[in-house]
Amino acid sequence: MRLPGDEDLGNGSARIRPFLATSPSGPVPPAEPEPSTAPRPFVLTSGRVQADIGLETQVTVCPNAPGRLARLSREQLAILAICAQPVCVAEIAARLHLHLGVAKILVSDLSAAGCLVVHTEAIGPIDIDTIRRVIHGLRALA
Amino acid sequence: MDSVRSRDATAPPSAPVPVKIVVAGGFAVGKTTTVTSISDIAPLTTEAEMTSASVGVDDVDIAGDKTTTTVAMDFGCVTVDHSLKLYLFGTPGQSRFGFMWDDLTRGALGALVVVDSTRVGECFPAVDYFEQIRLPFVVGVNAFHGRLAHDLREVRWALAIDDTVPVVAFDARDRLSVRDALLAVLDQALARATGGDR
Repeated sequence: MRLPGDEDLGNGSARIRPFLATSPSGPVPPAEPEPSTAPRPFVLTSGRVQADIGLETQVTVCPNAPGRLARLSREQLAILAICAQPVCVAEIAARLHLHLGVAKILVSDLSAAGCLVVHTEAIGPIDIDTIRRVIHGLRALA
Repeated sequence: MDSVRSRDATAPPSAPVPVKIVVAGGFAVGKTTTVTSISDIAPLTTEAEMTSASVGVDDVDIAGDKTTTTVAMDFGCVTVDHSLKLYLFGTPGQSRFGFMWDDLTRGALGALVVVDSTRVGECFPAVDYFEQIRLPFVVGVNAFHGRLAHDLREVRWALAIDDTVPVVAFDARDRLSVRDALLAVLDQALARATGGDR
């Protein structure tokens, strides 16, 4: 995986950029937070950390969700409750205060169980028509 | 006679096509403000990936008038039409968050790199990254209080970016100004898609 930042400077792939004088009163990032004693988020996913779903992928409740909802976790039921209309995976994570990686895995599980539809069919290569539609739509904003 | 159709209601309802633009930049440069200004929904914030080190460290209110803060990643949405949604993902530009950038940029139309002209250097990791993955991007210099500490020519010089990369001034608090900056990103995306660039 590519990592941006300082580690790139030694391999010649990043440019050395000139430096503009900076204000001495710039903001200072705060100190690292205290370690939390809460359960680590990936307890909810039995330790799994990978699910190949894009952040913007649209998700809806499956109209014929099987009647086995009693076996679902509280978090999974909460996801189903907000997916009557299409929402994206990042929005699910934010609204339910779930870790993004956790949300992706729970969504993936619900999809496998036939409870959720993950609309991967809506994601294709970026085409010129789509870009033009976005431009048109933004220009119409007031 | 309708029984076959009602049985066949398993066909998933159609969902809008999601597209995204990444809003990147250094610490407290106005990314959250940018997303907030244009989003249809109240911007949402989420933790990004599995590290406790990224939680809360981009969260501070000492940068002048920056009172809202960014924890890991925030995003907004512009409903372009009934079948197309534009998502904006605001991402902290510090290199220690590099592990989440691949996920954020996969499938993105392009990126807006937000720059505070008094702290140009903070956007270097974002610019490096977008150059490397060849994502179309625009540098948007956020005019805090309507003023720029350095003019756009100086910022371009400091960034040493390709002449084809636009450097524009915008006001992150102003919806139409943000819209115009995003339109500049989309123009870059269109130029790339039509082969007009590189």
